[in-house]
Formats: sequence, C-alpha cells, structure tokens
Amino acid sequence: MPHDIRRTTSRLHAHITAEWERAHDFDPRDPMAGLNRQDLCGPQLGRRTVLRLLAASGALTAAHLMPGFAMQNARAATGGTLRCGWSGVGEFRTIDPAQINQVLLFQISSNVLSGLTHINPQLVAEGDLALDWEVNEAGTEYVFNLREGVTFHNGDPFTADDVVYTYQRSSNPDKSIHSRVVGNFAAVERVSDHKVKITLQAPQASLLVKTRERSSGRAMTIVSRGALESMGESEYGLKAVGTGPFRVTDHQLGQSMTLERFENYYDPDRPKLDKVIIKPIIDAEPLAAAMEAGDIQLIGGNPVAPELVDRFVANPDLIVHEVAAPGFQSVWMNPHRDPFRVEDFNKPVAELKQEKGFMVRLAIAKAIDRDRYIKQAQFGRGKPGYGTINPAMGFFFDDQLAETSEQRFDVDEARKLLADAGFPDGDGFPEVKILTTPAQRREVQVITNIIKRNLNIDIGIETKDFPVLIDDFNSMRWDMCRLGSGGDFDPDDGLVDWMQSSSKFNGRNRDKDKMAFGFFSDSTVDKLVEDQRIAPNLDARKKLVQEANKITSDKVASAFVFHPADIQVRSKKVNFPAESRIPGLVDLDRVTLAS
Amino acid sequence: MLRFLVHRTLGAIVVIWAVATLVFFMLRIVPGDPIAAMLFDSSPEMAEILRAKYGLDQPIYVQYVKWFWAILQGDFGTSIYGSRLQVSRLIVEALPRTISLASLSFIVAIIIAVPAGLIAATRKNTAADHTVTVVAFLGLSMPDFWLAIVLIIVFAANLQWLPAIGYVPMSEGFWLWLKHLILPSIAAGTAFSAIVARMIRSSMLEVLKADYMQVARSKGLKEHFLILFHAFPNALIPVITVMGIAFALLMTASVVVENVFVIKGLGRLLIQGILNRDYAVVQGTILVVSALFVFVNLLVDALYAVIDPRIRY
Repeated sequence: MPHDIRRTTSRLHAHITAEWERAHDFDPRDPMAGLNRQDLCGPQLGRRTVLRLLAASGALTAAHLMPGFAMQNARAATGGTLRCGWSGVGEFRTIDPAQINQVLLFQISSNVLSGLTHINPQLVAEGDLALDWEVNEAGTEYVFNLREGVTFHNGDPFTADDVVYTYQRSSNPDKSIHSRVVGNFAAVERVSDHKVKITLQAPQASLLVKTRERSSGRAMTIVSRGALESMGESEYGLKAVGTGPFRVTDHQLGQSMTLERFENYYDPDRPKLDKVIIKPIIDAEPLAAAMEAGDIQLIGGNPVAPELVDRFVANPDLIVHEVAAPGFQSVWMNPHRDPFRVEDFNKPVAELKQEKGFMVRLAIAKAIDRDRYIKQAQFGRGKPGYGTINPAMGFFFDDQLAETSEQRFDVDEARKLLADAGFPDGDGFPEVKILTTPAQRREVQVITNIIKRNLNIDIGIETKDFPVLIDDFNSMRWDMCRLGSGGDFDPDDGLVDWMQSSSKFNGRNRDKDKMAFGFFSDSTVDKLVEDQRIAPNLDARKKLVQEANKITSDKVASAFVFHPADIQVRSKKVNFPAESRIPGLVDLDRVTLAS
Repeated sequence: MLRFLVHRTLGAIVVIWAVATLVFFMLRIVPGDPIAAMLFDSSPEMAEILRAKYGLDQPIYVQYVKWFWAILQGDFGTSIYGSRLQVSRLIVEALPRTISLASLSFIVAIIIAVPAGLIAATRKNTAADHTVTVVAFLGLSMPDFWLAIVLIIVFAANLQWLPAIGYVPMSEGFWLWLKHLILPSIAAGTAFSAIVARMIRSSMLEVLKADYMQVARSKGLKEHFLILFHAFPNALIPVITVMGIAFALLMTASVVVENVFVIKGLGRLLIQGILNRDYAVVQGTILVVSALFVFVNLLVDALYAVIDPRIRY
C-alpha cells in the first residue's frame, strides 16, 4: 500500500475510533446517556448529541462516522421519474408503520411518512415535523413545538392531535405490532394545536432516536387519523397517507407502487424527483436483467444476490457501493441429537473436548473453510464469522477471534477430533441433514461440500419454506440448521437475542420436559450478557461482550460462518446523496437524475 | 344440450366443493404455523392473541363450518398478512393479469402449433416433419424459466425492444399492455405449442388415412382445401381436449413465468399463499382455480358439438 494512502487510512481509522469512543463515553446505566437538558432541547441536536443518542440506542455504525457521510450537492436537475426494483420480495404487503416488520417496507414508508425529527445532511438531528423541543430537568417530559401549515397528503392539517392519535394507536397491541416500543410512555398530551407533551415513566435518552427515525422509529411515525378512518386499515396499508415528501398515488399489490412528489411538502426544495415507481422483484436474474435493460435504475429491498454483484461491478453504467452489513450467519447443530449431543455446556472447554458430541461439533466448526465459503457462496463478499458480534459494530468486534477461537480453521485438528469421536475419516458417521430454505440451497451446498472435502462426511440437505423452517427451528426439530441474524447494530442483538438460555430464538417452542435448554445454554455466558448491559463504562462492556462472544464461539453454540455485506446498486444516472446511504434505508427525497 | 349443461354444472359444483374441502383440511395437516412465521421474533402471547383473532385456535371442524358458511355468502375471508386485504379483492386484481397472460400465451401456442402440426402431418417423414419434431421436442424440454430469462436478456437487456418485467393493464393503452406481455407469452406458450403441434400431427395423420379423405381426393378437390376444410376440422376433436387443458393450465400454472416477469397473477398469488401458510388466500385461490379448470373442461365438451355436428348430448 503506498505510503500516503496508508497514512490517510490510518488517520481515518483514528478519527473513526475517536468519534466512536466519544459517542459511547457514558454510563450505560444512565438512561440519559450522559446528556443534559441543554443537549436534548431542539430545534437542532448537535452532532455529538446525535452520535451519543445513536450509540445509546445501539444504532450507531461506523458508516455514520465516515467523513464522506454528509450532503453532496445535487448535480442534476430536479424532476423526472426514478424506477426502482425492490429485491427478493413479491409484494409490499403494507406500509402502515404500525404493521411493518421488514426493513424493505420501511425503506418505502420513510419516503411517505414523517417523524417528529429527522437527520440533516451534516448528520445533525433537526425537526422534521417538530420545529423544536424542550426537556425538563428530570428528563421525563418532552414538549415539542410542531410545524404549522403542514398538511397530510389528503389535505388534512397536521396538528398535535395527530401525534396523540399516533401514540394511542401504537400503544394498542391489537392495532400495532410495536406497542412495546412506547411502553415507557406515561402520556402523550395535546398542549395546543401545535404543541404536544410526551411524559415518560422513567428517563430515556433514546426517546428522540425512537421518535426521530421516521422509518425505524415506526411506533411514532405520524399517521393520518382522517385517512385511516375514511380508507380503513387495509387500504391505508396499501396507500398510506402521511406528511412525507412523496405521496402514494397507485399501488397494485405485487406489481408496483407509484410515489409522486407531494406538492405541499413543508420543504419546497424537496423532493427533487417528480415520480418514483417501485417494483417488487423476487428472482435474482430478472432483477439483474431489469437493471441492465434500464427498466429499473436503483435496487432497494433485500440484499442483492451475491452472484450478481460482480456482474453489476463490471457494468460501466452502474454504481455498486458496499459497506459492512450488521449480522451473522451460522450452521446450528442440535445438542439433543446424535452425533452432536451435549448434555451440559456448563463445563470448561477442555472437559467438553472429552465428549464425543462436542468433538463432532468442534470438528465441523473447524472444518468450515470460511474463506473458501465466502469465495464460492458469497462471491468474495462478506467477512469470516466466528461469533454473533459483527464488524459493523466496530468497537465491539473482536478481530482476533479468527485466531483465538476454538473454531479457527484447522483441517488436521478437525479430522483428529472426528476420529477421536469414533468416526475416523468419516467412517460410520450417521446420516444427518441440514435444514435450510430453498433460496439458500446453493450456498448450503457449498458448506456441505467443504465439510465433505475436509472431513469426508456426507450431510444431506433438507429444504423447507421459511414458515415451516422457523417453526421447526423454534421447536428444535432439526439435526443441523442454516440460519442467521440481520439488523444487529448492538451486541444485544446477537447475544441477548440468540446466546442466552432465555433468548427468544433459543428453542422457545421446544418440548421443555425433554429438552432442558434450546441450542445452547451456559450460565457464565448468561451472566456476562446480563452484566454487559449495565457495565460501568464502554471498555468494560466491550470486555464483557467479547468474553461472552468468545465463550459461545469456543463452546460451539453454533458453527459461525460469515458476516454479510450491504451492497447498493444504482445507475450512474442516479445521483444518490451520501447522507442517504444509511445502512437499511433508501431515502429518496434528495435523489436526482442526471439530465 | 341444456340438460347436459345443467347436469355437468351441478357436477362441477360438487367437484369444486370437494377440492376446496380437501385443500382446507390438507392445509391444516401440512406443517407450518402461519402466525409463528408472521411474527417470527414476537412474543408467544402476541401469537396467541392473533391466533384467537383469526379463529385458528378453534377446532378444525369449527373452522371448516365457519369458512364454508362464509363461502356460501361470497366471503372468501381475509389475508392474514400485511394489510389483511379481502381475498376476493386479491383474486379480482390477479385475475385480469392471469387471463391476459393465459390468452396471449394460448394464442402464441396456437400460432406456432397449427402450422407446425399441419406441415409435419402433410409432409410426413420429410425434412420439414423431422425439423418440426425436433423443434417441438426442444420446446417441450426447454424449462420455461430458462426461456424467459433468455428472452429477457436478448430482447430486453441487449436489444432493448421490449420491457424486461412488469404488467400494465389494457386500460393504460393496448400497445403498452401488449408489449409487456409479448415475452411472457412466448415463454409460457412455447411448451404448450410443442404439445399441441404433436397432437395435431398425430391426429391429422389418422384423419388423412380415413376413407372420406380418399373420396374427397377422388372428387378432385385441391390438396390445401382438402387439408384445411376436410381434414383439419375432423382432426381437431382430440386436439381441442388438449387445448382446453392447456388453456386451463396456462391460467393457473404459469407461476414461474409470472415470477420471472413480475406479474402478480393467480399462480403467484397461490404460491405466495402456500409459502406464507396464508390459509384464506390458498383456499380462495384454489376455489377459483378449480372452478376455472372444471368450467374450461365443460366448455371444451360443449365445443365438441359445435365442431362436430354428429356429437349430441
């Protein structure tokens, strides 16, 4: 690497590290995240406050800290129609924020509906529907002054009543799947037409993050009462009415959704485009062909199939932008079935290594050549995985784990372990199957091929549709299972959701009389995961997180395989401001088309 | 004839009921919990609330009686996903797309099959016959998704003559509608054209050997007149059965082509319903699909009498 590039990279790394540490420099037990009343009052939040709030909510990523993460001046003229393809989805079932449970759906709703606050080009949170706000000393009361003259797409004026109504709807579990998000709210009251007060049961610094994000903060994304009452819930889900930059003018379920510029949007400079047409495209090849034919100019939705990325990179008319995606992918082995049986994980690794079931688990984990897998199955995109903590978490990611984990790739040791378990060169290994979805069959085939090559054992592949697979997974009805997690911005998303004995994915529907635990249970990990949530400082938390992560890796809670990449593909004619490149979102209000 | 139609219609209704009932119970036997899949990472309590809301916590026979009573009143139920739309609305939206695609695919199949079958029959064991046979087998063995992708790559991505994906209703312009359907129709219709061409060939060969054809020839009729007006109508009787089934299949089994070209027709609606364990959608769609099958076959039976006046019911 040339010296100047190395120096720049080094400076960049230092800058990101410093920003990251400043953002996380607060006591996690402090519900205000070290911020005071002055910090939290609006009309704008400073960059430091925003980064702190993002950190407190677990939403801060390295991407936010990149110097290029700021507004680019639009080079192209306004107007025109942008045609988008949403990858891996057959239809947009709903864009009603109360019902959205997929990222690919709030990518759309973020362009149609608004929140009280949003982020500006300099990564400073400023009012979206709120002009400014005041916080009391205790941090339990927020008074928002709302914009006047804002209207919904149906012409209804936006007032404090809409905020109250949105809260009432969101807090009703029969109406909203996000009722738990507003669980800390004591009340939302109308003070006047354009002033609203939110009272909390306890201080919660992440409140502004939760309400700010008009997309991921779906519980308080403002909906139109008038439209809901006149259209009904179902129709509203198809053509949600909000105060956002675009209004839905047409939605043919499973065909396309058309968004048109909302002429009365409160910011006369936005949106830039006249119209956006979004088509759901399930299959990879038609998506690629549509992109190459110019039928679509930008891909949103689910991650682009890895086999297409090189093809897009080679196309001079396209831009491919890649960042680390927050998630991990694994091969799970059922400890209640032979040959993976482990009665109790609460033993030192050295002791576990004497058990045949554990030897087999470790042999398989060590035999998976992650680099080969990424090359063959993911076409070189992604990072080898050895735990739930992913590289997008930056500070918490343990980049030494590949070397220190018991799962580190070592074919000779893996073969020895398998032989010690009674299966020399794979002889006598019982018939086992790996459960996966039809869509993942190809990449699972790569895994089984690698295991066959390195351990000489055959593993069958069983495909089931996702609803069946997840039902089986939760009930522990599988020998091996290929499953992973996405949208993991905080260590809690991996450790709390997956690695504790009580984790929501840890065999929650199993027969508890026959199986004392799900796929993994370790009391030390349970305690470490609890402790890291109230760790006194960031470094202490990191230590606890990495320790828990290493134990789950060493004890083969699963054979961790890789961390995926987040790839955006668009035509060169699409001028997509860098600030809109927030992992998971596709905000189109500043997007322009080259003339 | 009227008596025949009434009799067959009543029979058709029984068949449709039997199919729908079978599907109702089979869906509940097939593994997979729609609520668990819908909520994925939500709490078991929330799942129970939803299960009760959709009546999925009740005994199967209670669910069946309620469903059947609703069907009798024209209520197909509500999809349990997303916007929870009425199933009847989903079907009504999908039906024109399916009819458009099936009709054009059928036309493509006929346009290819009739001349190919006639040429193969009238020039038996010649190079033309062998060529038609080889092409027919190629058409039969070519997977429709492969053909669809090749068509997209050639005509949409490279030549950019036609759109790669999507559907536009005819109300937005005939040419716009047609150009979105040309590639999907070719992809879906090719395999059926091969089947129909082979059927026409073998049926024509039978007819051409018949005595009345010798008589017609001896009367000095010209060969093309003989083929088109004497042989072909008589050869159509067995072919029309295949055509009927082909049309019914095109109405319901073009799911792969629908997926590739992003056309939300009945097939795709059904497959997504099955994948999501969306009972109401699957039951409603199967009901419509079975009705289509049964009534297309009924229509074919009625057509026999039109084509061959000797056939009376």
